[in-house]
Amino acid sequence: MTVAAVARLELRRLAVRPLAWALAALTIAWLAWTFVLGLGQFLGAQVKLAAVADAPGFTDLVAIPLLAELAKLAFLVVPLMTMTLIAGERRAGMLALLASTGLPPWRIVLGKYLAVLVWLALWLLVTLAMPLVVGFGSTADWGKLASATLGTALLLATLAAIGIACSTATTFPAIAAAMALIVTLALWTIDRGAQAAGVSGGFLEWLTMATHLQNLLRGLVTSSDLVWFALAIALSLSLAIRRLASDRERQ
Amino acid sequence: MSTSHLLNVDGVSRRRSGREAVTDVSFSLNRGEVLGLLGVNGAGKSTTLSMLSGALRPDHGRIELDGQDFIAHPALARQLVGWLPESAPLWPELSVEEHLVAFARLRGAARQAARRAAQSIIARLQLGDLRQRLAGVLSQGQRQRLGLACALVHDPALIILDEPANALDPIQAGELRKLIRERAAAGSAVILSTHVLAEVVAVCDRVAILHEGRLRQDAPLRGEQGGTSLEAAFFGIATGTSA
Repeated sequence: MTVAAVARLELRRLAVRPLAWALAALTIAWLAWTFVLGLGQFLGAQVKLAAVADAPGFTDLVAIPLLAELAKLAFLVVPLMTMTLIAGERRAGMLALLASTGLPPWRIVLGKYLAVLVWLALWLLVTLAMPLVVGFGSTADWGKLASATLGTALLLATLAAIGIACSTATTFPAIAAAMALIVTLALWTIDRGAQAAGVSGGFLEWLTMATHLQNLLRGLVTSSDLVWFALAIALSLSLAIRRLASDRERQ
Repeated sequence: MSTSHLLNVDGVSRRRSGREAVTDVSFSLNRGEVLGLLGVNGAGKSTTLSMLSGALRPDHGRIELDGQDFIAHPALARQLVGWLPESAPLWPELSVEEHLVAFARLRGAARQAARRAAQSIIARLQLGDLRQRLAGVLSQGQRQRLGLACALVHDPALIILDEPANALDPIQAGELRKLIRERAAAGSAVILSTHVLAEVVAVCDRVAILHEGRLRQDAPLRGEQGGTSLEAAFFGIATGTSA
């Protein structure tokens, strides 16, 4: 019950914070513009596409690129949303006060994580509403769209978990955001060196976040990809909980 | 160690920032008792109170709360402890009422019970006019009263107040004293950390003096004479002229 209380409290705070609204408004405006441009290009290419066998459809040319655009924005938006969750509380002295309510660290971390997930889910749903509205009136590839949505949702959940872990590591929200951005970019591109050396496949490729998201965006749902996201989330949240638990010793 | 007291502190020590902030502090506290904790800046008062609130873990020693090991079970704080830290931290974007409901909920109260608890403490601390006001725009004294209300909203058995009269006007400070005695009469134990000796004399049953992290005196306080001897003892310890 207290996890829900922490989540509700955090959601209430998110709801009255200008940053959450500003980020939502700006990114959704950008995504809407991207969607309109993509849809215009798709409609303009109808004649050409009709002449090609197995031509890509609305899902491939409009809906999935929109989700990929959201994923790109998420690398900046999620660290900004998570940076104050713990670091800001610690800086304001609220973390010690929360600890004095007898709440174990896992409940604090999980409650805050759930609150950010709700915000991110709403962000994803508003974005998804654009292709859904058009898709219902046309012939969308629902399976591929569901897979891409799952991939984007898992990416957002992973970025949020990494963001919280970084937020527990410092007292300065800006440092937490920078750390989260660098960690997620490193995870995204960790196999670049191997690729440059002409090596493909192997553990480094499996470790790379891009590998797993791209599979899901292509409509390919594999247990290996799902396990990667689950492990990344579990590991990040565990680190966050451990770091928060050590606060009582370290302060 | 006896378990008849509400709080038993036994040989508690804690290092902070590379130095021994609190060393081998022991005392106990009964229900209904008000303990004044005195000491100059840096004496270890806030560190001691942080450990008693569950926010900080001692390096050594034992803390028993209501007969149970508080260090091993910090969740005991949920129902039993209310803490007002020195800086009265708050969430600036939440209203007074939202703070109180949130703290009651975090302490495990159901939604309706949390609302009732919030209403009750709002009425008791005369925060009615500020109910919908955001914490970020409150004056220092109002913040202090809200912090106090957050510490008391779940009716804790052990109330820990770190400089609670900071920024309160004389009328509010008088109200605070009345509230402390009221809570003690209702069976709560109160630890009051302050620099103001007159405040201790006015509300405390016992006084503990910390100096350089060590407990130098723990004695009952008796009337005006107690106040005079307290002043002498405090200055003696603080200036290093006492035996």
